[in-house]
Formats: sequence, C-alpha cells, structure tokens
Amino acid sequence: MVEEQETIQQSAPSPDPDLEVGLALVRRAKRQRLIETIKIGIVWVFLVALLTLGLLQLRFDPGYVFQHFGFVLEGVLTTIGVSLASIAIASVLALFGALGRLSRNPIAQGISGFYVSVIRGTPLLIQIYFIYLGLPQIGQQLIQMGHPKLGELFTLSEIQSGILALSLNYGAYMTEVFRAGLQSVGHGQREAAAALGMNRAQMLRRIILPQAIRVIIPAIGNQFIAMQKDSALVSVMGVWEITFRANRFARKDSKFIEMFLVAATLYWILTIISSWLQSRLERRMARAYER
Amino acid sequence: MNDKPIVRVHNLHKWFGLLHVLRGISLEVKPSEVVVIIGRSGSGKSTLLRCINLLEEPTSGHIEIDGIVVEAAEGTILPECRGRMRELRLKTGMVFQEFNLFPHMTVLENVIEAPVLVKGIPREQAIAKAEELLAKVGLLDKRDEHPIRLSGGQRQRVAIARALAMEPKVMLFDEPTSALDPELIGEVLAVMKELAQEGMTMIIVSHEMGFAHEVADRVIFMEGGVVVEEGPPDQIFTDPQDPRTRQFLRRIIESGRTI
Repeated sequence: MVEEQETIQQSAPSPDPDLEVGLALVRRAKRQRLIETIKIGIVWVFLVALLTLGLLQLRFDPGYVFQHFGFVLEGVLTTIGVSLASIAIASVLALFGALGRLSRNPIAQGISGFYVSVIRGTPLLIQIYFIYLGLPQIGQQLIQMGHPKLGELFTLSEIQSGILALSLNYGAYMTEVFRAGLQSVGHGQREAAAALGMNRAQMLRRIILPQAIRVIIPAIGNQFIAMQKDSALVSVMGVWEITFRANRFARKDSKFIEMFLVAATLYWILTIISSWLQSRLERRMARAYER
Repeated sequence: MNDKPIVRVHNLHKWFGLLHVLRGISLEVKPSEVVVIIGRSGSGKSTLLRCINLLEEPTSGHIEIDGIVVEAAEGTILPECRGRMRELRLKTGMVFQEFNLFPHMTVLENVIEAPVLVKGIPREQAIAKAEELLAKVGLLDKRDEHPIRLSGGQRQRVAIARALAMEPKVMLFDEPTSALDPELIGEVLAVMKELAQEGMTMIIVSHEMGFAHEVADRVIFMEGGVVVEEGPPDQIFTDPQDPRTRQFLRRIIESGRTI
C-alpha cells in the first residue's frame, strides 16, 4: 500500500514541495496508528488465550460448548427482535415524554415527569416482575369482576411482556436523550421561526425535529447497544432468547461456565457489530447539511 | 408620502428580572422611513427591536403596527390582545445578527418555508417569488446550496430575502453586520440601502455609523433604556445636543470608525 502510493508520487511529481512534506507526515501518522492498533490487538489475543488455557486447566468442556452452541445461537434472532421492537416503541414514548417535559402544559409536564421519575427510580427487574406477574393478577381480578374483555388485555405473552417492560424502561431513560436533542437546536432557530410567524407546532415539525434528529439518532444507537444486553433480563419471563437458552442447559447439566460463555460471546459479538454500525451512522450524521 | 405613522410604540417598558431594560420608550415611524438606532451595548436597543415584533413580551406599553394594536400591562400582554400577536408579528420581518438560517434546508427552501407553511401560498408561486428575491440579493445561483456552504455575507443576504418573502410592512434589522468579517459588511449594507431606496420601512439597530449617516432618515440614540436624542443624521452626527450622545460618538471616532 505504501509502496503503491510512493510510485504514484514519483510518476507525477507534485508542483508544490510542501504537499510532499504534508503527505509524508500524514502517511507516517497513519502507519503509527496502525502499529498501535496491532499492538493492542495482540494484547487482546493474548488475554483470550490466557483465559482459555486457564479454563481448560479447570476441566472446562469445549465439546459441550460445540454441542449446544447452535441451540443458544437460535436465541440471537429473538434477542435482536425483542430489542428492535422495544427500541422502536421506546423511541415513540421518549419523544412524547420529551415533548411533555418541554411543554408549558402542567398536565403534560406532570404525566411525563411522573413516568420518568417512577421508571428511573425502580429497578428494571422489579418492573419486569410487575409486568410479567403483576399484570396477569390484575387481569384475573378484572375477569372475576365481570370484565372478561378488559381482563384479557392484561394477559400478555412472554414476548409481549418482555417488549413492554423494555420499552417502558428505555422510554423513560431516552426521554432525557430526546429532551437534550430537542434542546440542542439553538435558540436562534426558534426565534427565526417565530419571527416568520410559525406557531409552536409548525416550528417543532419543520425546524426543531429535523435538526434534533441528527443528534437523537446516534443516541438511539447507543441505547440499542445497551438494550441488547439488558434484554437478558427478560429471560426470567421465559422468553427464549440467548440467556434463557443458555440457562436451560447450564442448570440441567451443571455446565455453567460453558453455556454462559457461549451467551456472553454472542452478546459480545452483537455489541461489536452494533458499535461498528453505530460509528458509521455517527460519521454520516456528522456530515450533515453538506451539499 | 403618507404621513400617518405605520409603527407606533408608546411608553414601552421591559423588565428582565430586576433589570429595567426599557424605561418608557415612545417611537413613531412613518411609512418608507428608515430609522437607525444607535447606542452602546446594553442600552436596550436590541430589546426594543425584539419587543416591537413581540419576540420579547413587553412588561407594559402599547405597540401598534399598520393598525394592529397589542398592549401589555403588569408583565403580560392583555388577554384581548393575545390573539393579535401573530398578526402583528406578520407585519414585520426580522434580520438577526447571527443570521439564523435553517441549516437543514437549502437556500430556496429557507425562503419559501414560511410563505408556504404559514401563509399557505402555493409552492410554485412561492418559488417564483423566492427566485425573484434571491436574484435581488444577488444569490440566485446559490438557490440549491445549504447555508453551511455560504459566506457570512451571503447568509445574511439570504436571511434578508427570507424575511422579505413574507411581504412585511416593516423590516427590523438587529445588528445585521456585527457578526460579519469586515470585507463582507459592504455587500449586506448595499442590499439594505437598495431596500431603503425602494421605500421599505426599516428600523435598524447598527454600529455602522457611515451607513446610518448615508441611509437613515432619522437617527435615534439610546442609553440606559431611554431615547436620549433623535434627529436627522446630519444633526445627530455633526451637532449632537446631549452630552451623552457627544461622548458616545467621540468614543466611536476614537475607536477608528468613520462617520
């Protein structure tokens, strides 16, 4: 690669000698960055090898891992599906939450403030128990009280409960993200829109949201990466995702390290892929408005 | 020329917390008149401008533009006037120091946005008008660029076209050249001068004394939230009556600016 560049340089000598110096400096900086990355990579490989060796010493059973890897792998699609559905619903909740917090209406402000405070003030696991075990209890009560239709509404499947719990939880945290995004649009933009006679709804739809979205979308990406791991908690509801599947065999055969290592590796790979997509998205968003 | 004022401000007060920024301003502007407001920063001149189109709600006082009256008392706009606030605002066009173009829209979209959205003008008609205005400010060739690709002077000229597209009765300029590099100031002032010659009613807050001298029909000097002195530019610049005006102008001259 370096050689190639140099031959190009030779065949077409640059008229500006400064450019040559600049190019050489850029090339050297690039090479140094690459060498550093390789060094760090070597450390990573070394650490993984060390852990593997250690585990093998402790009668770790790689054969068991290979045997049940496929079963856990099937849970990846469920994990991604639950996370995608939840992040989508959470984003809608967060948008309304943020609009509520920024509104001048005390009812809207009160509802969104209450929602964010309750969710952020309680553990996700408790919220999951409430939805998975509490809601059916309410449903039963309603059926006994003579409202069968209403009662059935409260009886959700495992996946529905999982998505509901993650959506509600992330919706509250992302309310702050959306609020920051909406507030990142400068005051001057609001004033210019107002001076042109726009009302608040027009201003929001045409001026504020399209600009805020450039801040919010990368932030949603971050939340999605975090949610993939938090979705492990819905395994307690019996959703057949990565953790639930790993747990089944781990408990049955007492192969905890083997199976949780599989689950951990799958989450890790998911995160690495998502982070890579995320950084590409961020770079694209940063190049906004250039045409 | 019609001599009935198009803008009438009476006994306007504005408090920011414990700060009494405007202390009873009264001002009348006739159609086609160009008024330049001068004064040091903090004198209340920008606040006055922003109260005229209600970007700041006056604490008390009376504002009338082209027959639309809005009054405020004891810190709020009177309830019976609230419905007229937008109507009054639509009588004005505002140009900001920091341009405030919409960065996610092209130049043309910036100019047609409000006419289409707020006034409901058909898109084709709005585009035709916008192209006419962009040609007038000399930027028709930039119609499909985003503001980020324009110089400060070009951005401000687009901002002027954007304000004009709403066909306001009065143009308000809030230090339109203060954020510009010196070599870009001229192109913006040239557009403003042309507007003045076409008979646009203009209220301008500016530090460009040369421009004020040349283009203004009347110059107002403000300090401490009151109008200290006003008159034709020749009189204000060559024979100021109030010692505060004299001191302000002397400082400007000492700082190397020309009148």
